[in-house]
Amino acid sequence: MPSRRGFLAGLLAAGMAPAASWADLGTPALLSAGKTNDGRYVLAGLTGAGGILFTREIPARGHAAAAHPSRPEAVAFARRPGRFADVIDCRSGAPLARLTPPSDHHFYGHGVFTPDGLLLMTTENDYEAGRGVIGLWDASAGYRRIGSFSSGGVGPHDMMLREDGMGVVIANGGIETHPDSGRAKLNIPTMRPNLSYLGFDGSLTEQVELVPELRKNSIRHLAMHADGTVAFAMQWQGDLGAVVPIVGLHQTGSAPRLMGEDDPRLRNLSGYGGSIAFSKDGMQVAVSSPRGGLVQVMDTGSGTITAEHWLKDVCGLTQGANGLIASSGTGQIVQMGKDGITALAHTPIAWDNHLIRLA
Amino acid sequence: MTRPILSHILVTAFSATLALAPAALRADMVDIAIDSHILPGFHRLADRSRVLSETANRDCDANSVDLRAAYGTAFDAWVRVSHLRFGPTETDNRAFALAFWPDSRGKTPKALNALIRKNDPIIDDPEAYTAVSIAARGFYALEFLLFDAPLQQAGTDTYRCALTRTIARDIAATSAAIDKDWSERFAEEMRQPGARYQSEAEIRQELFKALDTGLQILVDMRLGRPLGTYDKPRPKRAEAYRSGRSLRHVVLSLEALADLAMILSADTPDLGDDLAKAFATVRAHAERLEDPVFAGVAAPGPRLRIEALQQDIRNLREEIGLTLGPALGVGVGFNALDGD
Repeated sequence: MPSRRGFLAGLLAAGMAPAASWADLGTPALLSAGKTNDGRYVLAGLTGAGGILFTREIPARGHAAAAHPSRPEAVAFARRPGRFADVIDCRSGAPLARLTPPSDHHFYGHGVFTPDGLLLMTTENDYEAGRGVIGLWDASAGYRRIGSFSSGGVGPHDMMLREDGMGVVIANGGIETHPDSGRAKLNIPTMRPNLSYLGFDGSLTEQVELVPELRKNSIRHLAMHADGTVAFAMQWQGDLGAVVPIVGLHQTGSAPRLMGEDDPRLRNLSGYGGSIAFSKDGMQVAVSSPRGGLVQVMDTGSGTITAEHWLKDVCGLTQGANGLIASSGTGQIVQMGKDGITALAHTPIAWDNHLIRLA
Repeated sequence: MTRPILSHILVTAFSATLALAPAALRADMVDIAIDSHILPGFHRLADRSRVLSETANRDCDANSVDLRAAYGTAFDAWVRVSHLRFGPTETDNRAFALAFWPDSRGKTPKALNALIRKNDPIIDDPEAYTAVSIAARGFYALEFLLFDAPLQQAGTDTYRCALTRTIARDIAATSAAIDKDWSERFAEEMRQPGARYQSEAEIRQELFKALDTGLQILVDMRLGRPLGTYDKPRPKRAEAYRSGRSLRHVVLSLEALADLAMILSADTPDLGDDLAKAFATVRAHAERLEDPVFAGVAAPGPRLRIEALQQDIRNLREEIGLTLGPALGVGVGFNALDGD
């Protein structure tokens, strides 16, 4: 891993174009938060082969990140119940802005830019009210807070742009927490997770809930296929002995489809989906489970489990050029395909939950 | 502390017979956990809850000394097993039906007031009562009826009496169902890998997780909720403060968790000794608070001592994660730890 100073010197030597773009960085393909082996929390940019292009220190443990669609800016979100999101210029290393949520709000660790790059949207907990909200920040004016609207549920976690360009889809995990009680879950017996489709103005266009028996399955993470199909990964809050689906697919206007139903191998996931990703052609969807120490691949057509790839503490997962790319808390970056697992890089960084793919 | 010695003797005795016995006949820490910790705990809960229901049938007056004593004894029995949240307690939301806490939105008094206001006849049918809001069931709901002055002014004496009996009967039925499931089915499913657990490591993981989660609930909920923040302490969030049981629950829970920790460390006696000392110290600190409802969270001096207790338990949990987890072969990773 290059030192920060060495990296900056390299950048300066390479010269900086006035109109900065992601290409100036040697085009990172992936972003991930992590913890270095000397205990610092960072946001890192990686090549598609798992090489570290840059690391930027952040104040505490990160979670996910959002990349600006055109400018070489990334927003590193604090892990919940986080009180910061740092906008970093990945070209100069300069902190561009620190987003602090309104008092009585905290971040959940995810957010997205609108396609025009003008607005950043963040999932937040309005914790005195026990209400999920989407925070709005003006990315064209120094990330000024300009408003918020309801997320359509409690405990919004991941969010993605809708493929139709009409708004966002939100995973409302359904779990109420309050920073006074740490990360303790306060409403498990009454939780009601949902998937909410919202317009950019906050109008609710569609909302999906699972059957009552699955209300303790917290809908947390999302992936989007080019045809608009949303894949969601869940985290089961009920008894671990139960064989419950962890992955579902949804297309607007139809009922959700659950993957791998009644397959005993679902138990290998330990009731916990960490990250979720589609294959490029959308024929497969994969989910990681750090608790189970594996990635399960499912056929989106038949809903059957087609492969299992075992990797200790695996969590980050995204689509790569030649298959799935996964990262682990032990510093591994691997590729997973038909031939099993291929190691790409072993880094001195414990990779946090998500690998964010840059378009 | 007799437990480590007893466990050790049991382990040694059974190990000695193991060589002669068929492979299926074995006693290890899992069996000891089931036979000396889990089954007696749920059996005691079922028994004390039955007595609570019988007592309520005889005397439903909220101020009845007998009823309050039976309530306290049954609630104690629940707290002692409240860390064992897997299997039979999770079927049909049974644990939540016994213990709807924390109640961050005040659902319990709302649900009880709604029943009382409407004189809702649903309380006459035990089966139907299981369909009411889960917030109107269990020990925390009964606490309102027995100890909350505003609720005791609501509706008629007759209705509140019937409601008290219904909740007590429901607690007894739920506790009996958990006890029955454990002794008739689940204990055997847990003794060795099979349909329910795929490996012995999974079984040990379940027990370790119960210990870890129990400590976390002490830190985050039983102490964390009343502590709130320095600027905004929350004494009214203390668990079961109406009946003056907040500190008692911390002590009971520490006792139960120490018992489980001793069983799980039986194969590593040095570690067991360290943990026994650590639990004893923490428990002494808890008892020394002499503040049954954590009223001290709002006063700088006493608050410091409650925070120190919370930190003690946090340290103990960390120590257990770093030592006992690996000793049991159930380490947890950077991402696997508590998830997001």
